[in-house]
Amino acid sequence: MGGKDALVGYVGRIPAPVRTKLLAAFLLVELLLVALGATGLLALREVEQRAGDLASLQHKIEAYRQMQHDTLRQLYSVSSALAAPDNATLPSALRQINQFGYDLDRVSFVAKDEVALLGRLREEYSRFIAIATRVLELTRTGRTSEARQVQTAELAPLADRLERLTNQLVNRAEADMVNGVDASRATYETSRVYVVAFALAGFVLTLALGYAISWSIIAPVQEIDERLNRIAAGDFSQKVVVANRDELGALADHVNLACERLQELYQRLQDASRHKSQFLANMSHELRTPLNAILGFGELMLDGVYGEVPERMRNPLERMQRNGKHLLGLINDILDLSKIEAGQLSLSVADYSVDELVRGVYGAVESLAAEKKLSISTCVPPGLPPARGDERRLAQALLNLVGNAIKFTDSGEVAIEVAARGDSLTFSVRDTGPGIAEADQAKIFEEFRQVDGSITKTKMGSGLGLAIAKRIVEMHGGRIWVDSSPGAGATFSFTAPARVE
Amino acid sequence: MNKTILVVEDQEDNRQILRDLLASSGFLMIEAHDGEQALAMARSQRPDLILMDIQLPVVDGYEATRSIKRDPELKHIPVIAVTSYALSGDEERAREAGCDAYVAKPYSTRHLLAKIGQFFEKPL
Repeated sequence: MGGKDALVGYVGRIPAPVRTKLLAAFLLVELLLVALGATGLLALREVEQRAGDLASLQHKIEAYRQMQHDTLRQLYSVSSALAAPDNATLPSALRQINQFGYDLDRVSFVAKDEVALLGRLREEYSRFIAIATRVLELTRTGRTSEARQVQTAELAPLADRLERLTNQLVNRAEADMVNGVDASRATYETSRVYVVAFALAGFVLTLALGYAISWSIIAPVQEIDERLNRIAAGDFSQKVVVANRDELGALADHVNLACERLQELYQRLQDASRHKSQFLANMSHELRTPLNAILGFGELMLDGVYGEVPERMRNPLERMQRNGKHLLGLINDILDLSKIEAGQLSLSVADYSVDELVRGVYGAVESLAAEKKLSISTCVPPGLPPARGDERRLAQALLNLVGNAIKFTDSGEVAIEVAARGDSLTFSVRDTGPGIAEADQAKIFEEFRQVDGSITKTKMGSGLGLAIAKRIVEMHGGRIWVDSSPGAGATFSFTAPARVE
Repeated sequence: MNKTILVVEDQEDNRQILRDLLASSGFLMIEAHDGEQALAMARSQRPDLILMDIQLPVVDGYEATRSIKRDPELKHIPVIAVTSYALSGDEERAREAGCDAYVAKPYSTRHLLAKIGQFFEKPL
């Protein structure tokens, strides 16, 4: 594996474009294929040559056998001619002898290797012919006993020798034949080894090159991909390190460069966002100070601290107070959201009673609901154990939902319900208001969004209530959602873990 | 005997509100503009209750409260923190500093009066 990785690294570091590397690899594989073909052809040629050798050996053996056969017949016919000499058998014997001469000539053409042996054969043959002729001459002239004597004393041993010599020739040729077959088999084995070795080498080389080139591409691509995923997730801290000195190396450099730029931009954006949130938080604080004075004096006036308030002035004063409080609510929303965004809002977690939380919210909105002649109900399962979380913030989230429900419902009722399921509490606020179209349901939880801009003007609100509720719920590890359809009212719900640690 | 309340507040308008509110409810009000002054007046006048603004020049309300609560002569005086931070965690900080109660600004004068009243229902 280490060797392969080293190969991959080496291929990556070659300072050439990917297409050149691919071309080189393909050429190398092609060369190997050509070599494989050439080796095969060479092997075929050698095998063919061996087959030719074997065929000529075959011919030689046939010729030797013929010669051996003829020798035996000759000896036989000469013997029989001598045993019963007449004018018919003698010429036949002579023909036989001459036939052997032809055989010998034929063999001389085929067997160039056994020149010495053939020379001896020819010598013996000449002597044989000479003696046989003499024997025949003696027979013909009737000197039979003398002929028989010559035959026994000279011709028979000579015939034996001739037979041995031809036997020797046949044996030698047969031995050559066996050797030839062995050699041919050996040649085949060698060729097979070559061909298989080339094929294997080609296979391994193709695999290795394929592996090295594809991984020298895939590995950096994966690295870059992982990096881009990290960047997408907002982590700009690491660089792509790619050893490649080709297009992928350039790509990695560019990704790193883009990442740096992006990080700068992101940093600037974050700074700007933090400054904005900080500014909003400070500004809302500054706005509260004069508002405190306005509301404070107004309340004192209405309470008659500065003397009896004339009836004509009471109503305008109450309106001032109401608008002042509304302004305060808007400022509080902006402050809350900017604090959440600036990361300045931390939960102060403590034990609380769900029942008391809901009763508190109910108490805060009771008069508002009564003003609009809406009925308002609460339903909390009895005997809930103490929950743990930021009571004030959860109450704020619930209050925002209930406040909206009352604000948007003109007749009917608003119901606050709590359900406990396992470790989770679900707070729901159901109303009989106009409902919200599916398409608008996701938008309403975003900051500064309202379903219909015109509603803001008539209903008065910062449009931040749901966004704040959502942030608070999410800080607790819960989720918030709405079930609604136009004309059928709406149910806003959020979950919160029963015990936040 | 009218109860004396020390109001520590750097803004004139807010002091005026408290002056009018407390006078109408029959309290005597003495004033300090910063934390340092507050400590001096607490020592010299021995008020029955202190309304302590948190954002103050020189010495802030947390620090002034800590000094008061460290003083064995003064530590029995109830301190109500008044803050316009209204940040989550302010209440804890105020309690840590030794404040006995906490009111977020802008406050309802009625609410504030009720809060003050709580401390005088109990025997001092």
